[in-house]
Amino acid sequence: MLAASVTTLPFFAALSGCDGRDLLPGLASPPPLSADVRALFAAVAAEEDLVSLYKRTVAAYSALAPALTPLLAEHLAHLAQLRARIIEPPGKRVPHTVTSRPPVPAAPAAAVALLRAAERAASTDQLRRLNGAAPSLAQLYASIAASEATHVAALDHSPA
Amino acid sequence: MTHAGKLTPQALQALQAALAAEHAAIYGYGIVGAMVSGADQALALTDWKLHQEARDTLEAMIVNLGATPVAASVAYRLPFAVRDAQSARMLAVTLEDGVTQAYLGLVAVTEQALRVFGALAMQPPANRAASWRGSTVAFPGMPSGSITKVLSRPGHGRSLSRGAGLTRLTRGRAAGRAPGR
Repeated sequence: MLAASVTTLPFFAALSGCDGRDLLPGLASPPPLSADVRALFAAVAAEEDLVSLYKRTVAAYSALAPALTPLLAEHLAHLAQLRARIIEPPGKRVPHTVTSRPPVPAAPAAAVALLRAAERAASTDQLRRLNGAAPSLAQLYASIAASEATHVAALDHSPA
Repeated sequence: MTHAGKLTPQALQALQAALAAEHAAIYGYGIVGAMVSGADQALALTDWKLHQEARDTLEAMIVNLGATPVAASVAYRLPFAVRDAQSARMLAVTLEDGVTQAYLGLVAVTEQALRVFGALAMQPPANRAASWRGSTVAFPGMPSGSITKVLSRPGHGRSLSRGAGLTRLTRGRAAGRAPGR
C-alpha cells in the first residue's frame, strides 16, 4: 500500500505543478538532530579526545603504562557504551576523529597533570548533559562522570 | 526546597532509597571498623562519619519536602560472612557500591536539581569504593547486566547488582579515595 502511494506521487506532483519535495517536505532534507543525539555526539567526541590523549601519553612514557592502561580501557568502554546508544541519523556520522590534540608535555609529571585536568573537565561536562536527557542516558552520563572522578583520584597517586 | 507534593513519587522514592543505602552503610562500617586495624581502621572511621553526614543531609531534605525519612533497621543481614580484614574490606566495597547505585537512581528522576544532586553525591562513594577495592571501574553504580553487552573486556567494570547490598532484617530490603592505597 505504501509502495503504491509513493509510486503515484510523481503523477500528483505533475498535476499540481510541483515536485515531490513540496508534497512531502520531510523527505527533502534529514530532520534536525534531537537534543539527545547532539549530546551523544558531543560525548563521543570528548571520549575520542581523552582516548587519544591517554594513548599518546602512554606512547611517550612507557613507565606510566601500568597506571594509565586500566584507565584507558575504561574510557574505551565509555566510548563503546556511548556509541551503542546512537542510531546514526541520515546524513550524519558519529564522530570517529579526534577534535582536540594537545601536545603531551615534556615531563611525565606534567603529562599526568594534563590528564588529570582533562578528566576533571570531562566529568564536569558530563554533568552538563544531564539537563533534559532521557533518564537512561542521564544515568550513563552520571556514571561516566563518576568514573572520571575516580580517575582524577587515581592520577593523584600515579607514579609520575 | 520543593514541597513533597510537587515532587514525583519516583523522586521521593529515590531519595528514600538513597537514605536507606546510607543507613545500611553506617551499620556496615561498624562491622568493617571492628575487623580492620591501623590505617584501614582510621579510614573506616572517616568513611563511617561521612556516611552519617550524608544521612543527615538526606533526612533534612526529605523532612523539608514534608515527608517522613525512612528509618534505619535495627540490624542488617550481611551479603557474605565477614571474618577477617580482607572480607571486611570487601564489605566496604559492597557498601560503597550500594550507596553509589542508590544515588544513581536519583539521576533518573525528572527533577533536574535532584539529578545533579544524585550525580554529584555518587562520586564520593565511587571514589571510596575504588579506594577499598584497589582499582577503578568503568561504570560506577551501574548494574552489571546493563552494560556488559558492549564492554570490550568482559567482566571489567562489573558493579554489584541491586540485591548485593545489605538486607534489612526487620523491615524490607535496603539498597545495597584513591585506588590502590
